Amino acid sequence: MELKTVGLTKRYGPKTAVDRLSVTLTSGVYGLLGSNGAGKTTLMRLICTVQEPTSGKIMLDGEPVREMGEEYRDLLGYLPQHFGYYPDFTALDFLLYMAAVKGLPDRAAKKRSRELLEAVGLAGESRRKVKTFSGGMKQRLGIAQAMLNDPKILILDEPTAGLDPKERVRFRNLISAFSKDRVVILSTHIVSDVEFIAEEIILMKAGRVIQFGKPQDITAEIDGFVWECGVPTSQAERYAASWNVSNLRNEENGTTVLRVIGERPPVAGAVQVQPNLEDLFLYYFGGNEG
Amino acid sequence: MKKLIGFELKKLFSRRLTQAAFALVLLLSFVLDFSTYQNKYAFDGAGREGTGKEAVEIDKEVVERYAGVLTNEKVQRMLADLVPKTGEDEINALYIYHNATQSAISARFADRYGSWNGSTVADVFGEEEVTIGYVDGWLSVSRDLVKILIFFSLFLMVMTAPVFCGEYGGVDQILLAARYGRTKCAGAKAVACVLAALLTTTAVLALNLAMAFAFYGGEGLDCSILFAQMTYIEGGIPFNLTCGTMLAYQTLLAFTGALGVVGITLIFSAACKNPMVALAASAVVYGLPVLLPVSETNPLFRLVGLFPTYHAQFVSLMSVEQLGGGALYALWAVPAAAVLLAGGSVLARGIFTKHQVS
Repeated sequence: MELKTVGLTKRYGPKTAVDRLSVTLTSGVYGLLGSNGAGKTTLMRLICTVQEPTSGKIMLDGEPVREMGEEYRDLLGYLPQHFGYYPDFTALDFLLYMAAVKGLPDRAAKKRSRELLEAVGLAGESRRKVKTFSGGMKQRLGIAQAMLNDPKILILDEPTAGLDPKERVRFRNLISAFSKDRVVILSTHIVSDVEFIAEEIILMKAGRVIQFGKPQDITAEIDGFVWECGVPTSQAERYAASWNVSNLRNEENGTTVLRVIGERPPVAGAVQVQPNLEDLFLYYFGGNEG
Repeated sequence: MKKLIGFELKKLFSRRLTQAAFALVLLLSFVLDFSTYQNKYAFDGAGREGTGKEAVEIDKEVVERYAGVLTNEKVQRMLADLVPKTGEDEINALYIYHNATQSAISARFADRYGSWNGSTVADVFGEEEVTIGYVDGWLSVSRDLVKILIFFSLFLMVMTAPVFCGEYGGVDQILLAARYGRTKCAGAKAVACVLAALLTTTAVLALNLAMAFAFYGGEGLDCSILFAQMTYIEGGIPFNLTCGTMLAYQTLLAFTGALGVVGITLIFSAACKNPMVALAASAVVYGLPVLLPVSETNPLFRLVGLFPTYHAQFVSLMSVEQLGGGALYALWAVPAAAVLLAGGSVLARGIFTKHQVS
């Protein structure tokens, strides 16, 4: 299976959210990273055909998805960034409704709904109304609905928002088990979530792809640009404000270890370290909130 | 598709505002019908008078003496038995109310002194054969139903407005990315609205008619609406219909009006960003025909009168014209409602299908 975007562009008036984006995706998990306004959500919406591109096209195995219509949407599973629900529906009702919209037969819908509620840890809450759910529970329900129709293309926009560490681990395991022979695209600001499960990373900035490849390959670009150094704890904040700091760790001896991204060592005695994905993110987005 | 329609119905009826609005309609029905019944007054002219149930019984007993086809002989008997006589400096006899039959005969056949004004049955009703009986109860039911159905139309707008635009805030993204989101789902919404409108219209009519039967009984349904007390003459339906026929038309127009309202509201539900705006826009379009400077005598009224507002306020539409075979022009409300509903559903579905999430 090959999902391809060709010169995909989306403009909102003078602002270009996605700019002539051409990528080819085959089976596997893709982590979509970028700061706010990079175009991640817009790209996902275009792939899910809930927005029309200004120009360009999306092809699935050589066929334009717009022309495929229901056939293409049958392959999709989508969790949007701001997940809407029906407050007075129970969790099971909500999944059964979504199953009906996705065209699942009744019996299969019931079976699949119960399986997914079990998989996301909501089996005991199936009869509770969604309005009584916490944010994390609603998010898990959203993940479940995205997977109802066993989609070949799964698009998850910020799927781990609101999940606690235990739930994030459960989610990662779920996606890893699910991703064989499918295209899974997940966007997140929590870099560690994609670092563990994404086979390839798509880094977006200002509507364009600036990096695309395996995590170890793209992080190699900033080899030699990541340093660790110790500074007095009393001055750590001042240094952190001046440098591009990806991590700050207080030691017991009154020093603070800073992990700094830069072309030159920040202080004498700074040690080069192996870059990770978070370092790469900060290298491109300069420590601004992602 | 049946499953989708079931879920859409569940969504419609699970909204608190819809539930509250429907409860209010039913409460209004009860309060209006009951207070109208309680406020009935009758005096038989021989010392017996009463309100509420007593008044209904008196009215029935009085008209029973003259039941049947109205003749000139009956007119003279009623004038002698029922209409009070007044002198030169006394109150105009036409302002005196004893009971429904006395008011009906006074309004048409008496002068200000309570004497015969010289009119014959043919002068007043032409060639029509007018069957008199206890119609006052059913006419008041019909009048109350007008108010209730106008309020009910507002409820239908409250119920229908969120059907599409209620999704525009998160769920639309999931629906429009799903296999049937742009096709069967959109169709199911329209069908569910129609079913909900039919169900709730039936419930409201059933409640009102049940109360009417409980308060007034079945007498008078086969009697003419033309021989009614004074308050029903001005602005009433000018055709010789029985109460039963009039109520049958009003029932039909209740359904056509409901479906027309749903058709209009569906369009705004799909086009507007949120349910309140859709509701407001629907209410404006609903009320607009009444505000237009088109009187009932204007030929344009034949078109304007087919809008749902006039199905609820049915007297004007019923008064347009009597067609061949005794049928009324008001029957054109049926295809008019069908056009509004079909057009609204198709337009709404098209708008929703092309909706771009934001």
